[in-house]
Amino acid sequence: MKFRPKPLITSVAGILAAIVLWQLIAVGPAADSPLPPASAVAESLGTVLGTSLFWSDLAATVGIALLGLGTAALAGVVLGILVGSFEPFRYATLAVLEFLKPIPPIVILPLIVLVLGPTGQMSWVLVFFGCVLPIIMQTVDGVHDTDPVARDTARSYGLKEPEILARVVLPSAMPFIGTAMRVAAPAALVITVVAGLLGGGPGLGRSIYQAQAAGDYPTLYALVAVLGVLGLLFQGATRLVEGKLLHWHESFREAAHA
Amino acid sequence: MNRKALHWILGAGTPVLLLALWWIASEQSTSAFFPPLRVILERFQALWLFEHFQSDVLLSLRNLLLGYGVASVAGIALGFVIALVPVARQILEPLIHFLRGIPPVALVPIFISLIGFGIEMRVASIALASLFPTMIATVDGIRSVDPGLKDVARVYRFTTTEKTFRVYLPAAGPQIFSGLQVGLQVAFIVMIASEMLGSSQGIGAMTILAQQSFMTADMWAGILLLGVIGFAANLIFDLIRRRVLAWYIGSRKLARAA
Repeated sequence: MKFRPKPLITSVAGILAAIVLWQLIAVGPAADSPLPPASAVAESLGTVLGTSLFWSDLAATVGIALLGLGTAALAGVVLGILVGSFEPFRYATLAVLEFLKPIPPIVILPLIVLVLGPTGQMSWVLVFFGCVLPIIMQTVDGVHDTDPVARDTARSYGLKEPEILARVVLPSAMPFIGTAMRVAAPAALVITVVAGLLGGGPGLGRSIYQAQAAGDYPTLYALVAVLGVLGLLFQGATRLVEGKLLHWHESFREAAHA
Repeated sequence: MNRKALHWILGAGTPVLLLALWWIASEQSTSAFFPPLRVILERFQALWLFEHFQSDVLLSLRNLLLGYGVASVAGIALGFVIALVPVARQILEPLIHFLRGIPPVALVPIFISLIGFGIEMRVASIALASLFPTMIATVDGIRSVDPGLKDVARVYRFTTTEKTFRVYLPAAGPQIFSGLQVGLQVAFIVMIASEMLGSSQGIGAMTILAQQSFMTADMWAGILLLGVIGFAANLIFDLIRRRVLAWYIGSRKLARAA
């Protein structure tokens, strides 16, 4: 990879210009408005990063997101293989899944909060429901995409049905599952934050709600900025894991040669 | 043929069966969380048809359409600029990626702090949140336009307008539409969230207020309505997409058949 300093300089300049512009607007024309200046936000970011509450919030947010994602992946892949392997199952669930797919988990948030209260468990259930459907559907597609010749070859070599599932069907469904996970991982983080913000579940979402309700705007902005960085880390991490696990697949082999 | 009919019956029958099961199983229910479906539907009719139809349902939908419309037009336009002007890309890209990492719902408290709980806040949150998916997809779509196409446009001395509407827009169309679809989902989520956070009007506000005052059947009615809207919005979008991208979907089918 060639190092090109010029675009980097413009990019850094762009970020700096945005921050300076923000500071000028907040100090000048918008001095009476609730918009805090960038310097105040940076200051309260420093304060917030020094509190143990912040770090336990961060741990709760990441922990709930990962737990929800992990359980959803496990359940989604198992259910997806089941549904994808048996035709009647697939047709029976098609309409139901297609109906539920475009409905975001925030819709059932009031119900889950009512039943479970503002707890970590509530956030986890919400993340699970938000992530499991796309994973099921992608797994079903992946199972269907399995090369029938590979399947028949495995069968004529005398492999048993569970072995075919584990060695032929699952690997060929992996890229589909990978795509689903890449979409689901940032979504898990977003849902955890939503569950905290609207449902009072533990984590950064709840802190943001409290900062807003208390009128502590610098902290509010600082926490939202932290979420922005966290979101980028989540996206980067999933891409990295996907590339590591699927390095053998065509779509990734290309990238390795380039 | 017989098999096909069986699949049809399974596909259409399962949702009916599930609904029937829900009806029968909940009929004698005295649980505070799961009222009988009959009661939910009665409340659905009483609430949404027509007592609160204009004051809440139409209001929510208008906010959604307005915010989403602004975001779509601005997203495509900004996407064009960022993709075609290298300096703009270098300056804005890191900023955009950072903002994209922020969970869209976390922007709602910021807008509340800036412009209060009014309708403007809701429309602005919806617009800003659903801007990013469309914009990023447009940038990606335009950057992956076949260089041959660009050369041909140049050889034919297309004007900028002609190039924009006859070359770039159609070539990037499929990707722009997938961005628009994500944008619609985000807009829908933020519509609900902006109403749930301290507003008194709209479907989301009615649903969360019903939950907080333990009017479970009303809450269920809200969840049902939101679910139906989420599904219907996606369906309408898909119909439009199929119409606009008919040429693309047709060519893909031909390519796959070959």
